[in-house]
Amino acid sequence: METFVQLLVNGLGKGAVFALLALGFVVIFKATEVVNFAHGSLVLFGGYLVVVTRETLGWAGAAVVGIVSAGVLALLVERLLLSRSKLADPFSLALLTIGVDVIVTEEIVRRLGVSLPFIGDAWDAQPLQVGGVTMFRTHLVALLVATVLITAFFLAFRYSNWGVAMRAQAENKEAAALVGIRSSRVTSTAWLVAGVLAGVAVLFIATQDFSGAGLSRGTHSIALAAFPAAIIGGLDSTAGAIVGGITVGLVDALSTHYISFAFAKSAVFLVMLVVLVVRPSGLFGTRESIRV
Amino acid sequence: MRRLIALTCASALVLAACGTKGGGSDESGEGAGGVTTGVGVTDSEITLGVMTDQTGPFKNLSTGITHGNELWVEDVNAAGGVCDRQVKLEIVDHGYKADTAKTLYPQMEPKVLGFVQLVGSPIMAALGGDLEADEMTTTPASWSSELLGNPYVMIVGTTYDVEMIDGLSYLQEEGMISDGDTVGHIYIDGEYGANGLRGARYYAEQHDLKLREVKITSSDNDLTNIVTGLKGQGVKAILLTTTPTQTGSAAAANKALGLNVPILGNNPTFDPLLHDSPAAGALDQLYVVASSVPFSADIPKAQEVAQKYKDANFTAPPNAGVPYGYAVAEVWGTVLEKACENGDLTRAGVHQALEETTSAETGDLVAALDFSQPGAPATREVYVAQPDASVEGGMKYVKQLFEAEDAKNYKAPHEGQ
Amino acid sequence: MSEIATESPPTAPESPPSPVRRRGPMWWVRGALWLALLVLLLVLPLYLEAQWLRAGQYMMVGAVGAIGLTLLTGQAGQLSLAHAFFLLAGGTSYTVLSGSTEGGTLVGFGLDPLLSLVGAVVITALLGLAFAPVAGRLRGIYLGVASLALVFLGLYFGQAAETLTGGTSTGRSPTPFSLFGFEFSNEGDLEILNVPFRQAERLWYLFLALTAIAFLLARGAVRSRVGRSWRAVRDNEPAAAVMGVSVPRAKAGAFAVSSAYAGLAGVMTVLWFDILKPDESEFGTYGINVSIAFLAMVIIGGLGSVPGALVGALVVNGLPQVLALYSTDLGWFTGTGEGTFTPVLISSFVYGAAIILVVLFEPGGLAAIGRRIAGRLSFTQRGKE
Repeated sequence: METFVQLLVNGLGKGAVFALLALGFVVIFKATEVVNFAHGSLVLFGGYLVVVTRETLGWAGAAVVGIVSAGVLALLVERLLLSRSKLADPFSLALLTIGVDVIVTEEIVRRLGVSLPFIGDAWDAQPLQVGGVTMFRTHLVALLVATVLITAFFLAFRYSNWGVAMRAQAENKEAAALVGIRSSRVTSTAWLVAGVLAGVAVLFIATQDFSGAGLSRGTHSIALAAFPAAIIGGLDSTAGAIVGGITVGLVDALSTHYISFAFAKSAVFLVMLVVLVVRPSGLFGTRESIRV
Repeated sequence: MRRLIALTCASALVLAACGTKGGGSDESGEGAGGVTTGVGVTDSEITLGVMTDQTGPFKNLSTGITHGNELWVEDVNAAGGVCDRQVKLEIVDHGYKADTAKTLYPQMEPKVLGFVQLVGSPIMAALGGDLEADEMTTTPASWSSELLGNPYVMIVGTTYDVEMIDGLSYLQEEGMISDGDTVGHIYIDGEYGANGLRGARYYAEQHDLKLREVKITSSDNDLTNIVTGLKGQGVKAILLTTTPTQTGSAAAANKALGLNVPILGNNPTFDPLLHDSPAAGALDQLYVVASSVPFSADIPKAQEVAQKYKDANFTAPPNAGVPYGYAVAEVWGTVLEKACENGDLTRAGVHQALEETTSAETGDLVAALDFSQPGAPATREVYVAQPDASVEGGMKYVKQLFEAEDAKNYKAPHEGQ
Repeated sequence: MSEIATESPPTAPESPPSPVRRRGPMWWVRGALWLALLVLLLVLPLYLEAQWLRAGQYMMVGAVGAIGLTLLTGQAGQLSLAHAFFLLAGGTSYTVLSGSTEGGTLVGFGLDPLLSLVGAVVITALLGLAFAPVAGRLRGIYLGVASLALVFLGLYFGQAAETLTGGTSTGRSPTPFSLFGFEFSNEGDLEILNVPFRQAERLWYLFLALTAIAFLLARGAVRSRVGRSWRAVRDNEPAAAVMGVSVPRAKAGAFAVSSAYAGLAGVMTVLWFDILKPDESEFGTYGINVSIAFLAMVIIGGLGSVPGALVGALVVNGLPQVLALYSTDLGWFTGTGEGTFTPVLISSFVYGAAIILVVLFEPGGLAAIGRRIAGRLSFTQRGKE
């Protein structure tokens, strides 16, 4: 029983971070219908800037720099590459992000060289014991930050001009343009937000508590697991991103112990496959109507 | 367009006229000093190959080993070389990818006498047949006794299975485990992990231990959930045949979850960089068994190599790979000298010399080695070390070279075949 | 290759492909060029060193796989990231079918290698067919990500099914391919024009034959009714259905055919490595990186273009090999230690950039560029007449 509770706690903590990552996918997809395969490289990029600026700025300053630069990189990718190819459909643009991902990831892995820096200085490896259960501080802070950010996002999405514009654009692009919504601004903001979320997430991922490894190629692989998170919830559902994230965290933790560690990685994807077969647009996704 | 066709035809004709690649020359011949030479050896140079990992998961250790090799080459050349020939290294990076290695190999093969370093069990698995066919004496940076089935493989130091057996007897001797206990073993799926596990299983059988085996892959770094499970099963110790990063995770979880049992790791499980990681505070329960010394062991030869490393201004932080790399190269020196004495510096001659090498001396960098028993590890002695951030290289001894009774009786998979 | 137009956006009315081939002067020129290429490829083993032949074989492995993917993704419009899984399935099937039961730890049927190769292709085709019901329910990017799940299943299978794959530890040696008693290995002495024909030379011809067959079949399929039904489904499913195309059948067919190609590429991979070794992580010989590399090949070559897939394979699979071969000759990238630029790294940059450039500037890929050049040439040609 104790083991089970501990696994639940581990899974929930990780789920919060997966939710942040999945939300990034969802924001971009909602605004542009593009699936961003470069999300993992945004995560790496933010983390890398923390590493290089930490010496001079201190951890807190470096963390801010990292978050901002991940956002800026996302913005640049959108402005310099995606927005230039107006003719390309979302499908081709998704392929384009694969190209971006390969380049950014390989370069950062090269720059990291032999070092595997951990970047969760403020909370890493300081567990709390509550009863017989260990709470990892990284997980606790991640849960808190995820709750705050996701709430803020929901509020912005519902009440801010950007949120309204984005929802309008997601509903009907042509109509939104007709009523004067500037599609480029909505799109850019979406990318910026996704980048920032990636920059925040990496502060929890490249830690001893979360991934057991510092910033490396493995960090990128973890961001990949946010794919099933986003898909399970439904690529165009913000609420779904949270459910999906938590699901992935729990499935991973529980199947590691109760089935086998080797199976855990596949288990997450298997759950995704089952969800997709039953509900092709994810649990909370809008059913895609066939456009004639 | 017609011109293009004409051009194509013309070039085809030229190609045909150039003659084919056939008609290669016989490579062996009498060289300087009355020594028979072959591939990779000229009158002035001996070329040894290094296929290493500069970009993959074992890049730290590999880089250390490469630098160790390089330091020895500098020394030996300064002292006049081997057999009146300067030693040269041909270094390539395969990024721990078998496919890249498989392509690089045919290109390396005609240039080198043997491999002083060949990193990684996946690469060994892919190239094993080629090495045997080409009679290429090779020192893999992989200490699996499974590799000893290939007569051209020279493992400097003991093998993972024997390390585990020695290490477990150390734990038992110190009263940390006793017969009948439950013990967890986390191992990487691969030749490395499988070989460590082989040793643990053998010991468990001898001492009635209940072994909880958990297989992981080299890229899984968060072992928290596994250690949570092992805690639930009441393990008295955790054995690791993993990467250094995974060691950090297991140690951190061991502490965080309040399990606090001793952790026993094979030689490659530790990397001094762990002292700079958040797991630094959790390393006090870690014991590492190895047949080569830590970077700054307090033996004269190790100190000497450490000093050379500092003088050479390498950028990478030092690790146990450096003295090991130096020692391996030195063993190669011994073997090459012997081949030179025999007057045969061909690949066959080197192999012959290897089998005649019953004692290779490395100034205690590695336990004394005996290569004359095909299929058997060249030594069964190990050191036990513990992490210590205050020393260079990050590790200090807790037990000097020893060979456990169980290790002596253990039969390696290809022994006596 | 001009009738394999692919990149017309769904809104643009697609001009009906004109399968009626005019045997004008361009036809002869094209034929002569193909013939010259074939002759060149046939004599190469007489001149190239073994390592170059091996690099070439690796490109052919890529080519066969890429042709399969371009049929699925380009012609039938179904994004798949599962290609690496089918590679593993094909390689494993061949090894198991042709292998022997070694010491009771491995399963092997000891079948004839040719039969095993065919069997492997059939098995992967069936596996592809088995995934078709899932694929049929999903569209576009959802399908792409869903297919990723297969790669992870493959990873687990490779680790768990040790009796079939040999496990990630030691892997398993495949039986060398042989045809009517002639072994494609170093076995026996064979010399042609003073050139010793060893494994590298022999495999070259085997791979060349397999690639040629794969190529011709694919072009045949594209030009036939099957190809038209795939394109109809890709461009507009309801319209295709109205035209009498069975959408589920067309989709399932494309998946099966593509998987069969990947299976063949898997057999070639295993023969090339001379070992079947499942991966230890999702990055490896049958990992996500491989699926993405195949996708890169077909994007660079031009989605849907069969000759384009060949060129894409040349770039993506060839570049790291060739760079690695040159680098040691020229002393490039040989530094040790941190932050080194390695051939593997450089080629990743190149194909990453190539994907971006193709999507931005030439969505039709190299195939479209080729078509344009050919078009211009034939125009001047006609102008002269």
